[in-house]
Amino acid sequence: MVYTLSGSMKSFRVSAPLLLLTPAVIVLVAMVAAPLIFSLYSSFTAFRLTRPESLWVVIGLRNYQNALTDPVFLTAFLRTVVLLTVALNLEMLFGLGLAMLVEKALRGQRLLRTLMMFPMMFSPILVGFQFKFLFNDNVGLINNALQSLGVTEATIPWLIDGNLAFFSIVVAEVWSSTPVFAILILAGLLAMPKEPLEAAKVDGCTPWQSFRYVTWPFVMPFAYIAMTIRSLDVARAYDIVKIMTDGGPARRTELLWTLIARTAYEDARMGAANAMAYASILLSIFFTVYFYRKLAAARAQIAAEW
Amino acid sequence: MTRNEASRNIRRLLGVAHGLGLLLAMLIICLPGAWVVLNSLRPTVEIMAKPAIWIPQELSLDAFIAMFGVLGHGAIPVGDYFRNSLIISGTSTVLAIAIGMSGGYAFARYRFRGKSALFLGFMLTRTVPGVALSLPLFIIYARLGVIDTHFALILVYVALNVPFTMWLIDGFFRQVPREMAEAAQVDGCTRWQAFWQVEFPLAGPGIASSAIFAFLTSWNEFALASQLTRSVNSKTLPVGLLDYTSEFTIDWRGMCALAVVMVAPALALTFVIQRHLVSGLTSGAVKG
Amino acid sequence: MATVTLEKLVKRYGAVEAVRKIDLAIGDREFVALVGPSGCGKSTTLRMIAGLEEISEGTIRIGGEIVNDLPPRARNISMVFQSYALYPHMSVRENMGFSLKIAKRPPGEIKQRVDEAAAILHLEPLLDRRPSQLSGGQRQRVAMGRAIVRHPDVFLFDEPLSNLDAKLRGEMRTEIKKLHAKVQATVIYVTHDQVEAMTLADRIVIMRDGNIEQVGAPDDVFRRPATRFVAGFIGSPPMNLVEAEIADDRVVFANGDRLPIPEAYQNSAAKGRKVVFGLRPDDVYPSGHGLPSGHAAAVHEQPLKVSLTEPLGNETLVFFDFAGRDWVSRMLNPRPLVAGAAVAVSFDLANAHLFDEASGVTLARARG
Repeated sequence: MVYTLSGSMKSFRVSAPLLLLTPAVIVLVAMVAAPLIFSLYSSFTAFRLTRPESLWVVIGLRNYQNALTDPVFLTAFLRTVVLLTVALNLEMLFGLGLAMLVEKALRGQRLLRTLMMFPMMFSPILVGFQFKFLFNDNVGLINNALQSLGVTEATIPWLIDGNLAFFSIVVAEVWSSTPVFAILILAGLLAMPKEPLEAAKVDGCTPWQSFRYVTWPFVMPFAYIAMTIRSLDVARAYDIVKIMTDGGPARRTELLWTLIARTAYEDARMGAANAMAYASILLSIFFTVYFYRKLAAARAQIAAEW
Repeated sequence: MTRNEASRNIRRLLGVAHGLGLLLAMLIICLPGAWVVLNSLRPTVEIMAKPAIWIPQELSLDAFIAMFGVLGHGAIPVGDYFRNSLIISGTSTVLAIAIGMSGGYAFARYRFRGKSALFLGFMLTRTVPGVALSLPLFIIYARLGVIDTHFALILVYVALNVPFTMWLIDGFFRQVPREMAEAAQVDGCTRWQAFWQVEFPLAGPGIASSAIFAFLTSWNEFALASQLTRSVNSKTLPVGLLDYTSEFTIDWRGMCALAVVMVAPALALTFVIQRHLVSGLTSGAVKG
Repeated sequence: MATVTLEKLVKRYGAVEAVRKIDLAIGDREFVALVGPSGCGKSTTLRMIAGLEEISEGTIRIGGEIVNDLPPRARNISMVFQSYALYPHMSVRENMGFSLKIAKRPPGEIKQRVDEAAAILHLEPLLDRRPSQLSGGQRQRVAMGRAIVRHPDVFLFDEPLSNLDAKLRGEMRTEIKKLHAKVQATVIYVTHDQVEAMTLADRIVIMRDGNIEQVGAPDDVFRRPATRFVAGFIGSPPMNLVEAEIADDRVVFANGDRLPIPEAYQNSAAKGRKVVFGLRPDDVYPSGHGLPSGHAAAVHEQPLKVSLTEPLGNETLVFFDFAGRDWVSRMLNPRPLVAGAAVAVSFDLANAHLFDEASGVTLARARG
């Protein structure tokens, strides 16, 4: 019986996973890999949507050179990196804090966890809209509240001033994605064995020391899982910015992605846009790989010891 | 004051701080959404009033009525957007789950060369920003003449959802002990039957959660939809929301109403998904 | 002074009372064991003393000071957990030195004290290993080492040996006893194993359902159990306990068998009283094969039929049918007995017990 099973599985084995994976491979090659290759090709051309035949005009690396020397591109790129770095770190911090608050709650955990997930379920467009409404200088809740409480008379231009707009976007982005961190870290906190913590209390640790020496080493991999998952989606910030400020006013909040969209669809400079798009892809990949490595290391550590 | 009393006071204080912290956090989470919902029910006059009116004087469903107005011929073609979103998200979810189940099973149950490389490859496709992908797709679709069709978006969304769906389902299948299917085979089932009778039902709740997650991803997607659609033939709710948020004369009340319509299904599904999503993510990720 | 005092201590989980108003006074450097079946409240009590569990009512004092709301770190205690609770990501040395590191002791002192504890527990070769690389017994010793480096006032042990196999358990018991002699601190030791309690403790506290049944030295609780429960719990094999009634100046069992009333209970065994008669296996034996208490007049002999024997080598457990059920007796210097054989059995009534059937409390014993 056993021989027959393994025998039949063996002849099956070579082809089965291949068969099962074929649809996925086909779909992804057709919809992602192939278009990306096309995109790469077109980034070496002077392609403009308005003149289709320009697709065949190869200009080598000129698009890339232009981009790398274009101050608009560079500031957008830099601004994007700063946004992502600031946002991810704040999300991690707030997510950790939120997870710890919820974990210690004695009652209503299920309700708290459901509430915690709300922001994740909103379309980034919706998130952007919410905060556009909130930060609006005339009818927005924030300004109205500040005025009613007598904190200030002026209408603060949350979405007009370059720095304030950046701040507003960060707020929206952090609001939207902190739950990802909170939920995964909470899962880690709940999975952690409790006795070492009790031993730490008996050994003399203050709550901060317990956290630093016992809780954090265990929770770290979960934090990195969250970072990695989050990095896969960093580009969703595009949706938020598009609706809140669309890169403006006057390009003061221009991010890499809004620049790409503008270059491609408004200026119709497809070739150049594709070159910039590749820069954004590399940026995404960099973030993801970086955190995945940290995750793998932390995962190995946790499996070996805990 | 004795040490004991001091300690008791500190603990009480911490308890209060904890409660306040939680309250604050939940307020911050719920307030933006609640404010939008509230304002979809208030007349525009109130919304624009200066100084601001805090206690709503008048509440009505006028905005919603106007929206769904004369069978979708109101100011915003909400009915069309909703229909498009539903068809596109639904279809792409079904396809993504089918493909994801197939692939996820392969990863969960088999060992083969290049497994981790393949997995990495799948995951990397997810890192491509929507905007970046929209460029070549726009050109290709335009050439093929499929811009502004359901078909075009469904295809893309399937590709978008397959990697993550596969990862989640991989995790859920791993939680089903291998021996169950083997026992079924010993009892006389073929491999195919064993899968459908035993493994599929056991991983069912997890697969359902992956489906919900994929649905929500498609429902909320913007970057690709905004470029690959042109008219009410295929525009989805997120695109609709942006279109009507123009800079100058903003009908805030109408916008809020549209936002509520957009988020209602998503929130309803949130309740169902929460438990399974986390377990699937962490078990797959931590155990590897 | 490391005294521990519990006053009217209560622990409630919702409507359920796990610990019901217990009082206990533990002296400086005393080794006290809390014993009882699962769910009796002994671990809960220990954890309340440690500060790991909230107190519902009552007070706990350590060294005379009320500690109800003090966190564990302020109580100057050490604890050995049932599951050892070692820090998985630290080496043995780091585990043991952790509390000193938190207390900001100088590294030289930490090293010296860790080495000292390691020497006492034979842990030197293991100092650089991680807990995952150790066996159960080794982890247990590391847990103890972690507890002793601090020189606290009170040591708390929460069923530390229950995860070890029988042989290892015996060895570790001896180690703990030696440790207590050396370290000279107050020890509160929770276990469900009465043998551990009897061999290790200066005083034993027997608990059941959240109440204290009896507190006393091992000899005390063995020879003078205060309740039927204690009588049946302490001692292995357990005491023979059978319901009976006092009638005709005799202890009369349900099936009509009877025994004389033990002299110590002559005054308290009133006619018509419903009692439970108790006699340890050491005190009932085939005549000539036991250790009499010395009061020859108290021994009552009766021919009985053997129903079963369990030879243990140096002794045999012989089961007799009497008073309608099986009695266990310990036969010293054994010779082979066949099931069904009739043997003369001695009942040493000087060591017999009578308990009130309803309340389980022992009847009053006359002095002497």
